[in-house]
Order: sequence, then C-alpha cells, then structure tokens
Amino acid sequence: MVTKEKLGKALFVLGAIICIISAISIFVFLIIKSAPAFIKIGVLDLVFGDNWSPSVSDNYNNALKGSYGIFTMIIGTIVSTLGALTIGGVLGYFTSIFLVFYCPKKLKPIAIMIINLLAGIPSVVYGFFGISFLLPFLSKIAPNNGSGLLATSIILGIMILPTIISLSRVALESVPRQYYEGSVAIGANHTSTVFKIMVPSARGGILASLVLGTGRALGEAMAVVMVAGNFPTYPNGLFGSFRTLTANIVLEMGYAGEVQEGALIATGVILLMLVTTINIIFNKISIGTVKAIATTQNSNKIKTKTESILRKINFSKIGEIASKIAGITVAIILFMIVSFIFVKGLPTIINHPWFIFGKFQFGSEEITILPSLICTVLVAVISLIIATPIGIMTAIYLNEYAKKEGRLATIVRGAINILAGVPSIVYGLFGMITFVKIFGGTSSILSGALTISIILLPTIVRSTEESLKRVLDSLRQGSLALGAGKLRTILKVIIPSALPGILSAVILSIGRVVSESAPLLYTMGSVIKQIPSSVFDSGATLSVALYQLSGEGWYINEAYATAVVLIILVFALNLIAELTVKGLSKRLKGDTNEGKSKK
Amino acid sequence: MKENQKNDTIIAQSISVRDASLWYGDFQALKNISIEIPEKKITAFIGPSGCGKSTLLKCFNRMNDLVEGCKVTGNFLIGDIDIYGKVDVNELRKNVGMVFQKPNPFPMSVYDNIAYGPRTFGIHKRKELDIIVEKSLRQAAMWEELKDRLNKSALGLSGGQQQRLCIARALAVKPKILLMDEPTSALDPISTGKIEELCEELKESTTIVIVTHNMQQATRISDYTGFFLMGELLEYAETDEIFTSPKDEKTEKYITGRFG
Repeated sequence: MVTKEKLGKALFVLGAIICIISAISIFVFLIIKSAPAFIKIGVLDLVFGDNWSPSVSDNYNNALKGSYGIFTMIIGTIVSTLGALTIGGVLGYFTSIFLVFYCPKKLKPIAIMIINLLAGIPSVVYGFFGISFLLPFLSKIAPNNGSGLLATSIILGIMILPTIISLSRVALESVPRQYYEGSVAIGANHTSTVFKIMVPSARGGILASLVLGTGRALGEAMAVVMVAGNFPTYPNGLFGSFRTLTANIVLEMGYAGEVQEGALIATGVILLMLVTTINIIFNKISIGTVKAIATTQNSNKIKTKTESILRKINFSKIGEIASKIAGITVAIILFMIVSFIFVKGLPTIINHPWFIFGKFQFGSEEITILPSLICTVLVAVISLIIATPIGIMTAIYLNEYAKKEGRLATIVRGAINILAGVPSIVYGLFGMITFVKIFGGTSSILSGALTISIILLPTIVRSTEESLKRVLDSLRQGSLALGAGKLRTILKVIIPSALPGILSAVILSIGRVVSESAPLLYTMGSVIKQIPSSVFDSGATLSVALYQLSGEGWYINEAYATAVVLIILVFALNLIAELTVKGLSKRLKGDTNEGKSKK
Repeated sequence: MKENQKNDTIIAQSISVRDASLWYGDFQALKNISIEIPEKKITAFIGPSGCGKSTLLKCFNRMNDLVEGCKVTGNFLIGDIDIYGKVDVNELRKNVGMVFQKPNPFPMSVYDNIAYGPRTFGIHKRKELDIIVEKSLRQAAMWEELKDRLNKSALGLSGGQQQRLCIARALAVKPKILLMDEPTSALDPISTGKIEELCEELKESTTIVIVTHNMQQATRISDYTGFFLMGELLEYAETDEIFTSPKDEKTEKYITGRFG
C-alpha cells in the first residue's frame, strides 16, 4: 500500500519532469543548432542585416556566398503585428464591450459560442479565405494582386479577434457589480457608467488580452505566408510585399542548405525571444490586474469618478455607437468567412462523392482527401496517447502533491507557460531537428505526432488542473477520512469528479491537431499521397493538404471543399466537447436537482 | 495491509490525550490539553468559534496532517496505542470515522458512496457489499427511504439525507470511534432530530465525539462535555454536571449564553 502510494507519486512527478524537459530542450536544441550560424554570419549581421539572399551551397567550412540578414523580417513581423493589433484590437475591444453591456440577452450565449468556434478555425483556413476572397477584393484598388501589409494585417486582425474578445469579456464581467450599481445610483446612465466606470476598471484585463493577441499575431505562420507576398524587403506601403520571421522558416526550411538552415533556426530563436518577451509582459500584467482589483475594491475612487461622469457624456455616446458597430461588423465578418467557404466548397463535396472517400490516383483529376483524413486521425490518436497521460499526471502533481509555492511546482508552471507561448512554427523547427533526425531523417507521421503532442501538453495540463481545482476539498477529506490513501482518493474520487473537464480538454485537443499545420509541414511532410501504410510514412493532415492545394492553384475547388471539411470537423469537435461536459456533469450531479434547490 | 505487521492495530475504543499542543505555523491552536474520552459514550466538545474544539477532533484521525505547517506535540492514545506513532494513518482513519460539518457525498450513486470504504479495504464481492450497504443504511435509519434509489446519484438527495448518507458511509467500514464535526449545523430541525436519534443508537457499539455549537444538542445527546476556550480545555465533566453546576465562571457564562 505504501509502495503503491510512492509509485503513484513518482509517476505524477515524472509527468511534471517531462514537461520541464520539453520546455528546456526546445531552447537548448534551437540554440545549439543555430549557434554555428550566429557565429559564422555574425550576430549583428544576422539580426541587423537587411539583405537576405541565401546560397544553398554555403556551408560552415567555406566563405559565405549568400547573405543572411533578417532585419527586414523583424521589421515586417513587428509592423504586421501592429497592423493586426490596430484592426483586431479596436474591433475586439469594442465587440467585447458590446457583448457584455449592449448585446441582447438571448443573443449573448450564441455569440459567445460562435466566438469560441472561431478560435478553433485552422489558420490555414483564414489564410485560404485571404487568398480566395480578400486578395481578389483588394486587388481592385491595389497595384498588385492585393497581397502585402494590408491583407496580412486584416487576416491577422481577424485571427486574434477571438482571443481579444474572450479575455476582455471575462475582464469586463469580473468587474464587481457594486461599481455599476454605485454609479447608476448617483444618476449616471447605462452608457456613461459602462465607459467611465466598468471599462476603466477592467483596463488591466483588456490590456492583457491585447498582449496575448499580439503574441498570437507574432507567431502566426501559415496564414501570413498565404497573403503577405513574402518578398524579403521592408514593407513598403499598404500593398508592399514583405516577409515575416515565421514565413521565412515556412518558405525555405524545405530546401535549405547548411548555413541557410542554421540561419532559419536562428530566425526561430529571434522569434522565440520576441514572443517570450511578450509573454513575460502578459504575465506581469495579469498578476498586476489581480492585485489592482484587490486593492481598488474598497477605495473611494468610484464615487469621485462618478461625479465627474455627467460632464462628459458625449464621449461615452460615441463609445456606445462604436461598440454596436463593432459587434455588427464582427458578426458580418464571421458570417462572411464561413458562408463564403461553404458556398464555394459544398458543391464539390456533393457533386464529387469520391472527394472524401475515393481512392487516390496520382495525376488524376479526381483527387481525394481520404489519405489526409486518415493521416489526421493517426496523428490525433498517437499524439493524444502520448500527451494525455503526461498532461494529466502533471496536473495531478501540481494540484494534489506540489506545495503551493514549492520550487518544483514553480518550475513546472514556468515550463508550461513557456510551452504555451512557443509559436507553432518553432515547434515545427524543433520537431525537425529532433524527432525527424532520430527517425532516420525523413519526415513521418510519428515525428509529426510527437511534435504535436508537446504542443498539446500545456492545454491539457492547464484545463485538467482547472477541473481538479474545482473538485471540492470536502470530497478529498471525505475519502481520506474513510481511510482511503491519497492515491485511491485521486483515482476514485477526484479524477472521476474532474472527468468532464478533462474529457473536454482532450476533445478540444483533437481540434488543435486538426487545425495545426506549421509544425507538421517539416516533421510529417506535405505530400498528399496514398494512404499511409505505417506511422513511419510521411503524409499530410487535412490542414497541411489545404495549404498545399491552395498554394498550387490547381485544385482550387478541392481546396474549398477541404476547408469546408475542416470547419465542420472543428465545429463538431467543439460541440461534442460542450455536450460531453454538460452530459457528464449532469450524470455526476444526479437526475434531480433536489439537493441543489433545497440549499 | 498485510505487510504492515510492524504497525500497531487499533482495538480499543477509548481516547486519552496527554499534554497535547498544536501549532498552525506560529499560531498555537491547542494548549496543553489532557482529556480522557470513555468508550461507547457520547462526548461533546463545546465552546466559541476558534476555541480549538474542531482542531482537537481532527487530531484523533490525524486529518490535521493535511494542513501545511501543522505541528503536534504530546500523546494521543487510543487504548494504549499512540496514534502519532507507528500507526498506518489509513488504518487509523478506517477505525476512527469522521462526519463533516457540510455533507460531502461523492458524486457517485448512493450504493457506490457506501461501498467506497469497504472497497478501499479490499472487499469487492457484490454479495458482501450488498450486505454492508444494507446494514449501514439500516444503521443510519435510511434503508426504507433509499432502498429503491440505490443507483441514483447521491447528490440528488436532500441536505439532511446527504448527511445521514455520510454517516452511513462512515459506518460501512465499521469504525470503533466516530468523530462528528458540527454534523447538524447545516441542517433543518427535523433532519437534526433524526441524526441525534441515530447517535443515541450508535453509542451501543461506537464511541462518539461530537463538536457542536448547539448547547441544547449537547445536553440532549451527550454523556460528557468538554468546554474549550482559546485553545484550552477549561472544564470537562459529565454533561449533567457541567450544565447544572459548572465550576468555572467562564463555562457558566458561555452555557447561559452570556458570551461566545
């Protein structure tokens, strides 16, 4: 019995240690692999050089023929992120205000659900929407095909909307109700209360949401590649072609020479540093916000503020109108994306039944996504088999064993935060220089799945820990008081109670597998070929297939159809996750609500 | 369990505490407590909030082990076995059951709630479990109420039913001592009455220690009463005696409702 307990604890600690190792090895491997390039090219020349013309034949022993400056891309990344923040930030800010304070009550849950779904749409689908709708639209006013800074900013702006809206909404909703009542009681109307009291009180949380959105925009790869133009120069005007750090890796990693590969990994290191900086800022702000809310709780600030409200009503009125416009705009954008893709893609699926379940014939007109479907399922199954137990074990360690401020727990949490912030293309780089090398140098489903499993870890750990936290302490004590050991308490009482949350995390992880593409491109391969015969075969998942299909321009109808399948899959997974939580929670709580209502 | 022969096993039903103190970090919650709790009687701990009565109760099954920074000195004996010595803590908790202030049924069926304890200690045969479940529910006087809904979730029961279920759950592992930490404070008067009746029946076979805020409850059901104040045991005697002729002035003030 005692040994069993120890074994259990050892297992949970092991999960936590794997998380730490993963986080550390990403940094270590990237730095080791890029160090020669940094030395050969020179740190200053690499970071601040603005000429990128690599030579495939360059190696570390001879003089360089190409030049490897990535400064144009650093600027490109920053400028496009700022652009995205301008569009997505403003829209998201006002939409969240709309949702919390102006949205009709019946509409709100639907709106929130749709925004959650939006967060799950694969980035290639956004990119594809950019190619197939936004670029043709913009080309009417652009000197070129419409690609460039503006298109990238718009697409990225739309992509960060869900992040910004959800987090800002939570921040606004957690402003104490008394603030609102206090202000209205003085005679301020709804709108001035919203803009003078509620929004300023949620400032910290809203800022944090913008920072997190920034992180997402910085790290986005595939969608950017599809609309940025990708010429390695400084972005010159709204329609100037430019390249981001992420795009650089996606575009050239496939055929890179020795020094070029090193320089691309160095690109990843710089990107990682940018994103890590943003994440540190985010963490500082989040912690600051909690403290700020705690301290302002009892202050008299509100009163004096409310008195000055009545003087400045007009500004609030503008805010109200902006919120309503933003809410409607976001609704239109979302409706447009989904309906455009469905209208274009559904006919292909309906008229060509072989598209989904047909046999693949090379060079034939009739391409099928069956191999990609199978690859997607394989990757999902393998990566979940790896990530789920490790993630759950880590979460159990954190919530049930670790001391609150213990050293190991702090390190584990740090590792999880780092893993959550690493851009997916950097995971791709990592998978390429580790798993792909281990399994013989060619990309394989197994390498892809291993890479994805690390990506899934932070999500699974965090949501499992959240659901463990919600298990009442009295249940723990109840079980221990009956003489059950800690391990038995965890396995029989705590995990079953937390099961709905854990399951929903797993299902949403499948959604993540379905939508990721950047990390798979160079770990698993991008060729849509026959049905894989083993996990050591290469293959493209649906998202990667969409990237390939849309890039080649040959199978545009099939690309629409693939996008439709992707959206349906992601929506279905979200729905299943929600229903699972509801269904299981109901079963746990019993058929009647008697107990509840009596309280 | 078998390999733990080194550990002492608990057979006795009386508790004796000698010179016990307890700290939560720097805060001393119990100060030099000595008390003898006789077997198969109901002993009540009374006193204002924060006086240490629940803390002492939780020492008897070492639930205080779960609190970070909790330190205990002195002797806690059940019979002649030191429960902070060579005792398997799970074995201890099996023998010293506990009922909490707020009912805490597990999110499982009524049946599984009761079978949880026996299963923990290796009973898995359906027939044996059936017998234990029925017996425990009968002991808790709720067999008739619940026999048709054994497979329904325990969370669907009313608050009073939930608490009696928790008592039945504790009884299912046949504890020799039952600790009750304000078991009725969250319940209505009718449910409270049922639980008090239950205590009277249980003392035939079990030692009961109950923490209560309710003076009437203490006089109604307990044989002995201990009055706690600021971490000290001020007075301990037969219940009749303590309520009719308290020796300490503070005890008198408290039981007559003048402070606390």
